[in-house]
Amino acid sequence: MKDDKKEKLLQEVRSIVSQCDRCGSCLPVCPLFREKDVEASSARGKNNIARALIQGGLELTPDVLSAVNFCLLCRACVDICPSKIKTDEAMMSVRQHFADKQGGASIKYKAMGGMLKSRPLVKLASGSLKVLRKIGLNRLIPGGMIPDQYTRKQFLAAFAGPAALAGPAPASTVSLSPETKVAYFQGCGMRMMFPDAVSDTLAILQTVTKPAVVDNLCCGLPHVAHGLREEFLEMAKENMRLFANADVIVSDCASCSGTLKHIAGYFKDDPAWKDRAAEFSAKIMDLTEYLVKAGYQPRLRTNATLTFHEPCHLGRGQGIKNQPRELLKAAGNYVEMSGADTCCGGAGSFHIDYPDISAGILDKKRKNIEKTGAQIVVTECPVCLVQMNKAAEKSGGKFRAMHISQVI
Amino acid sequence: MITNEIKEKIRAVVGPENALDSNLDLFGYSYDSSFIPLLPANKPDFVVRPLTTAEVAEVMKIAYANDIPVTPRGAASGRTGGSVPLAGGIALSLDRMTNVIELDEPNMMITVEPGVRTIDLYNLCAEKGLFYPPDPASWKFSTIGGNVAENAGGMRAVKYGVTTNYVMGLEVVLADGTILNTGGKALKNVTGYNLTSLFTGSEGTLGIITKIILRLIPMPKVRNTLQLMFPSLDEACSTIHKMLQSGVVPAAAELMDKIGLQAVARTRKLDIDPNTEACVVIEIDADDEAGLDKQAQQIDVIAHEFNVTEVRIAKSFQESEDIWAIRRGLSSAVGAMAPTRFGEDISVPRSEFPEMVRRIRKISEKHNLVIAVYGHAGDGNLHPSVLCDLTVPGEEERVHKAVDEIFAEALAVGGTLSGEHGIGITKRAYITDALGEAGVNALKAVKRAFDPKGLLNPGKIW
Ligand SMILES: Cc1cc2nc3c(=O)[nH]c(=O)nc-3n(C[C@H](O)[C@H](O)[C@H](O)COP(=O)(O)OP(=O)(O)OC[C@H]3O[C@@H](n4cnc5c(N)ncnc54)[C@H](O)[C@@H]3O)c2cc1C
Ligand code: SF4
Ligand code: SF4
Repeated sequence: MKDDKKEKLLQEVRSIVSQCDRCGSCLPVCPLFREKDVEASSARGKNNIARALIQGGLELTPDVLSAVNFCLLCRACVDICPSKIKTDEAMMSVRQHFADKQGGASIKYKAMGGMLKSRPLVKLASGSLKVLRKIGLNRLIPGGMIPDQYTRKQFLAAFAGPAALAGPAPASTVSLSPETKVAYFQGCGMRMMFPDAVSDTLAILQTVTKPAVVDNLCCGLPHVAHGLREEFLEMAKENMRLFANADVIVSDCASCSGTLKHIAGYFKDDPAWKDRAAEFSAKIMDLTEYLVKAGYQPRLRTNATLTFHEPCHLGRGQGIKNQPRELLKAAGNYVEMSGADTCCGGAGSFHIDYPDISAGILDKKRKNIEKTGAQIVVTECPVCLVQMNKAAEKSGGKFRAMHISQVI
Repeated sequence: MITNEIKEKIRAVVGPENALDSNLDLFGYSYDSSFIPLLPANKPDFVVRPLTTAEVAEVMKIAYANDIPVTPRGAASGRTGGSVPLAGGIALSLDRMTNVIELDEPNMMITVEPGVRTIDLYNLCAEKGLFYPPDPASWKFSTIGGNVAENAGGMRAVKYGVTTNYVMGLEVVLADGTILNTGGKALKNVTGYNLTSLFTGSEGTLGIITKIILRLIPMPKVRNTLQLMFPSLDEACSTIHKMLQSGVVPAAAELMDKIGLQAVARTRKLDIDPNTEACVVIEIDADDEAGLDKQAQQIDVIAHEFNVTEVRIAKSFQESEDIWAIRRGLSSAVGAMAPTRFGEDISVPRSEFPEMVRRIRKISEKHNLVIAVYGHAGDGNLHPSVLCDLTVPGEEERVHKAVDEIFAEALAVGGTLSGEHGIGITKRAYITDALGEAGVNALKAVKRAFDPKGLLNPGKIW
């Protein structure tokens, strides 16, 4: 059985990476290759490392492990690749393979995974963040990362002054069928770090529906990304049970919605869960996707200049590009930044594992934000938001960072 | 083997972070985009990434003094194994040399270092209304140094020629570290042998190119893209020939057969009529819209003489891009059809294009292999792709026979082994058939003159 699983995992990797013809199209787009331009950083490099690993050309050594960990899972390479090689999935599977082989994921990821798996711990963390410090994960929330949350109240005070006010946005035209049961999926990152944004999301949702608030588990992305696939599958099952009654499940975290939409794929060979998983994934909607579909109009139009950092898991992950921009255009003066869809270097815990590289990537992002002259950079993922907060701080107050719920 | 002492010397020249020798890094510089198997890996002993000509010269001096082979490398997008360090030694990666030294507008010339990506060079010139035409399909990621070393061609070759038609002068570091300058900005130049064109296409076997002077032309004011669908390959080719004979010279005329077309259709989720046997993508350019319209009309009329089933004239930039995306995605879409693809690059007299395709079809039937064919129909350069699964017993042998026969047929119709990808490792075996003993001996004599110790990119071309 165990061997079976191992074989399946390797087969998954093989079927992806053997399709790479090493053309090099992905070299210029990988944010990591831009920071550290040696072959092993690029998608081409990593896919071929994986291929050599499977075919016996490379051993499972620590530097091979760091190479497969050195990936933002941002999918910029997948997007440009003529053969659509899923480097991100291959890397996740190789990480899993390493974890299985070594009898489990590294202590660090296990601790993080274990914490995020536990509802009480996540809640505790959101209360005090003490737990994180206690288990040595305080760097997940390093200094300056306990973001000085710029609240909607402060935002309105600054930008919605009567002089600039173009009047309240037109009344929302939502007409949801009363039968549609909408539930809110609360991501761990949002819960722990941006409780104000969560309140804003719920406030918005309440204007168009009666969102059920479910005490859900983590979406499992940190687990599946770092060799804790069993945990991921377990939590997915529990979440499926918890949301069995909902027709639509909305999340204001792009990574959660992206991951949950992909759950179906992970269960496609499991006869007992296959159908439920497919049904579950089909119910998932990203917040802006849902709001636009529901005809939501921003509560207020302000005179703030806004720009959008597109989370990888939203744009490339779910193909949701227009919706957030549409909402932002109605909420203020929208300016598109160049490279809006380039990864910010946050990527789960990547910014903790590789602070320098991550900072280099973020610096490019910051410059692009500054070039737009925007006062607020808006995004829709807690890890991106942490990064945007760091960029805002570095910019010396040229702009601030906010979750989209706080702006629309 | 390179001793630690020598490594230290090289590290002192380029900086320790630019001299790599971990097993993983050596592996990363062991392959290119050719079908040479990934394993066993052709690892170099040392990866060296210089930043300046002076550093290159220093590294070459050390290599020369210690008989260390050196294989230059750009982006490793080469299709024939050119940058694969067959003999180990140093993989000399030039991708950090990315300075644009000068854009000389009055003389319409640009001087760049070899690591500049072709597309960046193109864009820089375009901003000033200047045009660098050679556009290999790999231009978004390949380096200009690699383009010069392979004398890369592109889709615009039919009207504007290939890389060598634009190279005016080079700075080259020779095997012993001597810095040589060839050519220059003078448009007329018959002072001594034309070393510039000798180094262009030399595949890294004669010297390391460290600076390149390129000629530019004024950017055509307007361009447009057409897509033509035909019920047969012959009719597609005839259309292109008739166009050229009538003086309608497209900036590009790309032809793809049904196998390739359906492969792109699958990867790009397009719906393409299964009765379409050939698709031609044409780019036209002119000084004004009227000029474009006139050419489009002429092409439309000619195509209809040859039973064209669909003429699509792009109405927007986006539509142009969509059409080009079909052509650009072709190579990889075809590659994804089977576990292994042997992509070839042969060139025949333009008139022989349909005949060559017919001969390839026969080879395909004879050996029971799927062979997709596409190429630059405007200039007779075609890329047959043999699709196969080498794990099937006997398949490898059939593939090799088929490839041998393709080359033989190409030579038989008056063509040659390589239109643009070079010889590298993958076509070495056929070089004598193409050039004859005397031809190969002449190449070897040139090689000996520049690289008596045989250190530069050993194991390539013959
Ligand atoms: C998808 C795809 C499409 C392609 N389409 C085309 C096409 O349309 N037309 C075409 O001509 N080619 C094409 N190619 C082939 C390839 O991109 C070209 O040969 C390109 O010029 C190689 O550039 P590079 O920087 O990747 O060089 P590399 O592959 O790194 O090196 C190529 C050769 O040049 C030598 N070299 C590199 N830099 C230097 C230098 N500074 N000094 C001396 N020698 C050097 C190397 O030793 C090697 O022999 C394609 C490849 C791919 C993957
Ligand atoms: S673009 Fe795709 S096929 Fe090309 S090297 Fe990158 S992963 Fe491989
Ligand atoms: S997913 Fe992103 S970081 Fe990872 S290889 Fe692809 S482009 Fe690079």
